[in-house]
Amino acid sequence: MTVTPAVVEEEPTKKGLSFKLPLDETEMGLVAGIVAAIVLVFTGLPAVIKGIALILAFLWGMDSVRKTSKYGLGTGVPSIGVLATGFGVVGALVGLALAKYGSIEGVAYPAVLVGAILMGVIGLVAGILSNHEKVIAMKIPRLERAMMELGMAGTLIILLECSIVTGSLNFDAVVNQVLNTGLIAFMFIFTCFGLLHPYNACLGPDENRERTRMVAVEITGLICAFLGFAMIILSSSSWALWNGVSLLIFGVAVWAYFFWLFIKACMDEAYETVGTGMIKTIE
Amino acid sequence: MEPILIILCVVVGGLLASLGAHLLPVGGAPAAMGTATGIATGTVQIMLGAAMTGLFTAASAATFTDSLLLVALSGAIGATVMICVVMLMANILYTFGCGIVPVSGRVDVDPLTKEPQAPYKTPQTDGHGVPNVVYVSGMLGGFVGGFGGALMYFALLNYADFTAGTAAIGALSIFVPNAIIAAYNIRGTIEGFHDPKFKRLPFAMVTSLVVSLLCGILVVIASYLTVGGTM
Amino acid sequence: MGLIVVLLFAWMLVIAFLAFLACTFEDLESDMGSQSNPNSQVQLAAQIGQVNRFFNKAISGEPLSNAMYCATAGTIAWLLLLKLEPLVPGEEWKAAVLAIPIGVAVAAAINIIFSMTAHCGRTAAQKRFEQPIYLDVLYGHLLPIATHAFMTTFFITCIAYIQCNLGTLSGNPALNHPFALPLLGFIWGITVGAIGSSTGDVHYGAEREFQDRPFGEGKRVVYHGKITRYAECGVRTQRDIAGFCAKFGGPITGMTFGLIILFENWRSLVGMQLGGYLPNLAASAGNSAVTWAIVMGLIIVIALAVVNYVFVRWVRKKCGPFVGV
Repeated sequence: MTVTPAVVEEEPTKKGLSFKLPLDETEMGLVAGIVAAIVLVFTGLPAVIKGIALILAFLWGMDSVRKTSKYGLGTGVPSIGVLATGFGVVGALVGLALAKYGSIEGVAYPAVLVGAILMGVIGLVAGILSNHEKVIAMKIPRLERAMMELGMAGTLIILLECSIVTGSLNFDAVVNQVLNTGLIAFMFIFTCFGLLHPYNACLGPDENRERTRMVAVEITGLICAFLGFAMIILSSSSWALWNGVSLLIFGVAVWAYFFWLFIKACMDEAYETVGTGMIKTIE
Repeated sequence: MEPILIILCVVVGGLLASLGAHLLPVGGAPAAMGTATGIATGTVQIMLGAAMTGLFTAASAATFTDSLLLVALSGAIGATVMICVVMLMANILYTFGCGIVPVSGRVDVDPLTKEPQAPYKTPQTDGHGVPNVVYVSGMLGGFVGGFGGALMYFALLNYADFTAGTAAIGALSIFVPNAIIAAYNIRGTIEGFHDPKFKRLPFAMVTSLVVSLLCGILVVIASYLTVGGTM
Repeated sequence: MGLIVVLLFAWMLVIAFLAFLACTFEDLESDMGSQSNPNSQVQLAAQIGQVNRFFNKAISGEPLSNAMYCATAGTIAWLLLLKLEPLVPGEEWKAAVLAIPIGVAVAAAINIIFSMTAHCGRTAAQKRFEQPIYLDVLYGHLLPIATHAFMTTFFITCIAYIQCNLGTLSGNPALNHPFALPLLGFIWGITVGAIGSSTGDVHYGAEREFQDRPFGEGKRVVYHGKITRYAECGVRTQRDIAGFCAKFGGPITGMTFGLIILFENWRSLVGMQLGGYLPNLAASAGNSAVTWAIVMGLIIVIALAVVNYVFVRWVRKKCGPFVGV
């Protein structure tokens, strides 16, 4: 029994079947962070635009999870996604509490970004302590940066989701519509999955970033669809209703397209896709 | 709104979460094959399961008592009951389902009951099941972890004046990073207080202290800015 | 004892029974798709040349995935209840009869989506080990997995609904649990998954996955990855496994969760009764009710520890030291 030697070069993926943006991880982080922050501040934007920002933020978080988990965390990929979400919820609470400072009611809430920055600091501290030789000594390259990015991405994601549902970042509105109703439980767990599932699902020696990104976009589509449904039910004005309907359609379309794309890419790029068959016998 | 008490409760809760995670007998994936001693799942997962059970009971208790100690103890006992039943049933499953005798892999003689361990162990494995010393360690771990979770919930509910839902998700969000940092410190499997890896505990405690302190300060900021609000 | 007390105890028993069923199906669902810890062996098998026809359902650990299904079901059910309850004033339970199954069906659809991405993604990432995607394995497992997940999520959502409205159902709305329906679903989802993976996985991982190895010993490190690839007849798929685990692993796992729910609620209720909190909800009796509940819990914990001590001693005496090679 021998292990097949590693394939040296991957054949280029078939044209039209891969989701390729010419952005590497750092560029992706910058673009996603800036776009998500801008969209987050201006809460009056249509929900679909917030949905696009949400997709970018998830791609950023997924990249951080991926580059950290590649080195083996010792306890599985999921933990780092949950960590990011835990940080994110705390950061979102602070951001929301700060939101009233310097805000234009119903239009712009620049102070919420302080929550994301504070969470970045906590993530950095946690990363330094986890990676430091004299403390936990995880020995993962650039863990500090990844944990900082995860704290910020988690906060931005949770805040964007709150902003989508309530249409503002007014503290009382978010508490009444998201936290007290238990909708936060849904957001918590789906944010976890949006961050951890792409890499967890594609884990393996032949994992590649394009495929992994498709799963992130696909899950964000699902989240958008659910949040759109929630908006339709919770809506009190026709603007919120139409926002919800458009977000639902956007979410379903994004999900369906990228789901199809991902399954297609997997089947093309797997060793073989067969209807049925026996297994290779071992002598 | 008592900032010192909030920070104190959050920090103590975070430290207890980290300590509880180290005390729980976690076998991870190898335990599911009977290759390692402990509960067949990851640190974070079993810690969360126990703490959530405790949190549920603590939340009911908090509706009809104002005592910090009673709420925290309710959570602690809830988590302990959960972990005790799980460990007992895991033993039954190991024994009757797979014919495996509970045995510790890290010590040759059980430190509490003085039962010999080495002759019962399958070669090339690291022990299996939940023997007595591991059971006691697990009980303590569940108690400590549940106490920490319920303590944070109570502090966020009554001192920071959050609503029940906010307090629950807030306590969970601070509990989770602490348990995960403990899991990174453990790296895989741990049997309990008699395991050599338990000596790594101070590293996780330092990290937990810093992270929970910062989170506690953030919670105080959030609570302070919304005083008089409906949070 | 007033009617409220009797009803509270009756609902507690219903919840414990639902919990038993929920965790039984939870364990079988994870075995049906090879999730959680034993999945490491399925993942490893292809890497050491053992191409197999197992379903590689790597949706994180069970606690998180079940929390996701249950939180989804709870959220959808709660949103529908918001719209449906005003239609049937005074008889709100009628709305739940429609809302809960719809929410749970959505959760089952989510399960199918995540199962598909996980299986295809993981298999495609094993290209260099010559592990193909068998389409019949892919399609043939989706429905069995989803139906098992439907049962789990349905029971958990029912538990969450009952606990959310426990007071209303038994006559005093002040006894309702302070958490909202999605949050309760989330909490019980985490717990049911933690129990399912810590108890039930053993029967699948230590016994069924290595059935051609000797019975009665822990599985050695050299066996890892060399899973049993052939069934009683033909090549083994995950569908052969659920039938085996349903005979012992599933029910034992269900019993674990059922006992936990039973003990937890029972000690709270008995504490309330002994402390004089029921049936009038006298606020002054709150502390003594909690104290009694804690004392009852301590008694249960000590009893369990003694049972475990006696059990381990008995097993070691019966089985004796390891005699294999």
